[in-house]
Amino acid sequence: MKFQDESQNLRARLVVLQLGVLLLLGVLGVRLYLLQIVRGAHYAEMAENQRIRLLPVPAPRGVIFDRNGKVLVDSTPIYNIIMSREDVRNYDLDTLVEPLSAGLGIDPDFLRERFEEIKTQPQFESVKVKEGATPADIAWVEAHALEHSELRIEAQPQRRYPADGTLAHVLGYVSEISRKQLDEPAYQARGLKMGDTIGKEGLEQTYDHLLRGRDGYRKVLVNSRGQIQETIETVAPQPGQDLVTTIDLEMQRAAEERLRTSPSKRGVIVAMNPNNGEILALASYPTFDPNLFTQRITTREGRREYAALITDKHRPLYNRAIRGRYPPGSTWKIPMAMAGLMQGSISIKHSEIACGGGITIGNKFTRCMSQHGTPELRYAIEKSCDGYFYRLGLKMGLEGIEKMVDDFDINKRTGIDLPHELISWTPSREFKRKWNKADPEWRDIDTVYASFGQVYDIVTPMAMLRAVAGIGVGGTLQVPHLFKEARAVYETPAFAARPLVAYQSPAPKVVPIAEDQHHFVVEGMWNVVNRAGTGRGIKMENFEIAGKTGTAQVAALGKDVGDNKDHSWFVSHAPAYKPEIAMIALIENVGFGGTYAAPASRAVYDVYYRETRGEEVTETELAKK
Amino acid sequence: MLDRRRLRDFDWFLALLAVMIAVFGTWQIHNAVPGQGYWQKQLIGIGIGLTAMFAVAFTDYRRLVQLAPIFYLLGMVLLIIVLIPGIGLKINGQRAWISLGGLGQFQPSEFVKIPTVLLLANYFGKERRVALGWKEIFVGIAILALPVGLILMEGDAGQAMTYFPLLAVVLFLSAIRMWIVIAGLALCLIGAPLAYQVGVATGTIKGYQQERINVILDPENADPRGYGYHTVQSILTVGKGGLLGSDDTSGKYSQSTLKFLPEPQTDFIYAVTAENTGFVGAGLLLLAYALLLSKLIYDARRAPDRTGMLIIMAFVGGFTFSIFINVGMVLGMLPVIGVPLPLVSAGLSSVLATFIAIGFAVSVQLRRFVN
Repeated sequence: MKFQDESQNLRARLVVLQLGVLLLLGVLGVRLYLLQIVRGAHYAEMAENQRIRLLPVPAPRGVIFDRNGKVLVDSTPIYNIIMSREDVRNYDLDTLVEPLSAGLGIDPDFLRERFEEIKTQPQFESVKVKEGATPADIAWVEAHALEHSELRIEAQPQRRYPADGTLAHVLGYVSEISRKQLDEPAYQARGLKMGDTIGKEGLEQTYDHLLRGRDGYRKVLVNSRGQIQETIETVAPQPGQDLVTTIDLEMQRAAEERLRTSPSKRGVIVAMNPNNGEILALASYPTFDPNLFTQRITTREGRREYAALITDKHRPLYNRAIRGRYPPGSTWKIPMAMAGLMQGSISIKHSEIACGGGITIGNKFTRCMSQHGTPELRYAIEKSCDGYFYRLGLKMGLEGIEKMVDDFDINKRTGIDLPHELISWTPSREFKRKWNKADPEWRDIDTVYASFGQVYDIVTPMAMLRAVAGIGVGGTLQVPHLFKEARAVYETPAFAARPLVAYQSPAPKVVPIAEDQHHFVVEGMWNVVNRAGTGRGIKMENFEIAGKTGTAQVAALGKDVGDNKDHSWFVSHAPAYKPEIAMIALIENVGFGGTYAAPASRAVYDVYYRETRGEEVTETELAKK
Repeated sequence: MLDRRRLRDFDWFLALLAVMIAVFGTWQIHNAVPGQGYWQKQLIGIGIGLTAMFAVAFTDYRRLVQLAPIFYLLGMVLLIIVLIPGIGLKINGQRAWISLGGLGQFQPSEFVKIPTVLLLANYFGKERRVALGWKEIFVGIAILALPVGLILMEGDAGQAMTYFPLLAVVLFLSAIRMWIVIAGLALCLIGAPLAYQVGVATGTIKGYQQERINVILDPENADPRGYGYHTVQSILTVGKGGLLGSDDTSGKYSQSTLKFLPEPQTDFIYAVTAENTGFVGAGLLLLAYALLLSKLIYDARRAPDRTGMLIIMAFVGGFTFSIFINVGMVLGMLPVIGVPLPLVSAGLSSVLATFIAIGFAVSVQLRRFVN
């Protein structure tokens, strides 16, 4: 110290200050070490997260074609308004409800639900606020980029289904994956995440894994306001595989047209190639517009529309071909006839059984529609003689009927490649015990009922078709299916090629039927249409249809009881002795099978004939109708 | 004036260290805002600062100390002028600047520290035989109170705070009784939380100020869009630097380019430093400061008189405090207060005032052999 100083320990105080300076700087150094070395990686990641966004580039789903290459479903680009997770982290989302619903015309309840979902799904990358944004919406988002920098516009391919509901039950529809599905391991294993669109019904569901493309993304650099500075990386999406179905669109349209114009406007028509199980047409009416689920379901109107659909007593969402269960009426006589011969209850030489105009069991008389004497089998089929089959049923017994059901897989799912197929109800002691508590014992009268397609015979049209189509080709029961092939998709920079997937036909069920017995039954069916049978009105000149009508009692047979009129059935195949096509038609609550279901089938045969024979159908009696 | 002996005795180490820190700072300013002309302005500022430093260094500080009351009065006039709307520029709610046209703005509160220190040194620099009396303490407080009051009227609480260590160091080295020092420290420790409570209760401490304090306690859970934003972003920026700093030479991904880090060239320049140069660079900067301050203290010990010693030590107090407040804020230890980092933050006034202060230190040190 250069100057004399006698004040209190100045030297020591300077040392204190020196130490104080070093101490403070040391504290800073330690903190610096903690932030940069100890927690550096963590902060680097946080900094990365806040500047990088992955913007999804959704892949288009595969197009669905009919067998002739006609487009059934495709996708068109629409614009969605989305929010990125990072941009709304720690946001009070409720404050967004009002401005967004007002500005973009979104149902506030929908937004609230959506924001509620975000809270329970912390790993979401982005969330759709509005699907199918209009140019006005996009302009609004751009004009409010400052207040709502969290909003972005995303192009997304959207499914377009035929708006008139054509094939709706076959195609199904797609919609956003539900919260429940997200929790299921099966969906998680497929790497699906919130906001993903998945197939929810029909082929869209069954073949979702083929139709689904692989989403791409755009990795962008954003600044603190979420404005995109540059694109760092773009991974182009790979479209899904195009699906070629077995459907013939023209036949499908014809079938739907017949159902739409039928008196009750309700019913099913399914046409199938009995030789390989390919479904050519599958119409179920009433139908619905699947676009509801892709385009309108998030709007208030769409939700009302959906509510109306699920409360409609005619159940338009229901695929009647695989979920409807009906008494098959006299169409049941075809498997009965076949089984009667197979089991030896009757033979080709001795197939005569008395009609008797009906039958008396105990004190109850069950009548036949007419008096047919003692017909042989082919005539009984032609005239649909109930008396004959009452007695045939009694000859076969319940066990014989059960064996028949088993042989022709009527008590099983057909295995069609559509979700939610139901199993038919077929005669058995358990069935009666379960449903008739007052009289649980199986009696002869029950066997009579079970032998002509009533009471204990409640079948899905698909199961019925598979059985009679199998009989038509002599005992080979194919698995009905709609899938023909999924076309290959080429390799893209990010994704491997996806090879063509062809339909793998499961082994058909082969029922050993003697050829002469088969021929005998088909002759009966041929008579139905080509002689004076119940289906004679639909006879075609150069295309021999073999069929069987059915009129299934709903309330009281043959009586006009309004909504509960009889179901009109027609099962058939053609050409009779070399079947190419088998068909089942059911018109609900209209009356006699020969009057409604048979002509409806004929309309589909006409299309088939024109397509395969390359010539117009020669008009016969049908023209008079 | 500039004879050989003076050039030989000149504290080149101190000056060089200061210039190195300032040039390093300019590089960081370039990193923070590459295309906005700040780093060029900073270089000009360093040039002006060096000129001023040499001018002050080669002037006898004792003559300047004698003139301290006049400088002090001039300073007060500037602080009053800056309050007049139309002359004083209002930036971020603080009317603390006077426009200098193309060179930018001039911030009187940065410069007034110098006459304040000089006046304190003038008053307390007399030969001392007994402990500090209450009267002297009050005079010291009065010398400080005037500029602090005026700066508070600008709304610049951070800058006003940097004046307190000037007086504290001077009093501490002027034989203030140890019990008062201890009592004062204890009062701060107890009083600060208490004052905070009272301030919150009476509404003197505003909501955003509370928020800024709360975020220190728990930065990761603070509302990153609210007042916690600055602190959180600053911590991220520092942490991101890691050991060796960001390898993103283009600066495209830097926190400042993407506007995540606010005020990157001024208040948060240390975060930019940490991001670009990592623990190595940011740590070296702290070491450089330690060296600079230690050299200043060393010079103070060898000062020819008490006045010179007080001048240097007052500046040491001021620098240390500013460094600690600024870096502490950047590292998320202290609330966000607008105090520049000496020699590094962009700003003509701060650079110039710092070099002038170093000039005084050199001047004192040059005269260590003269008595």
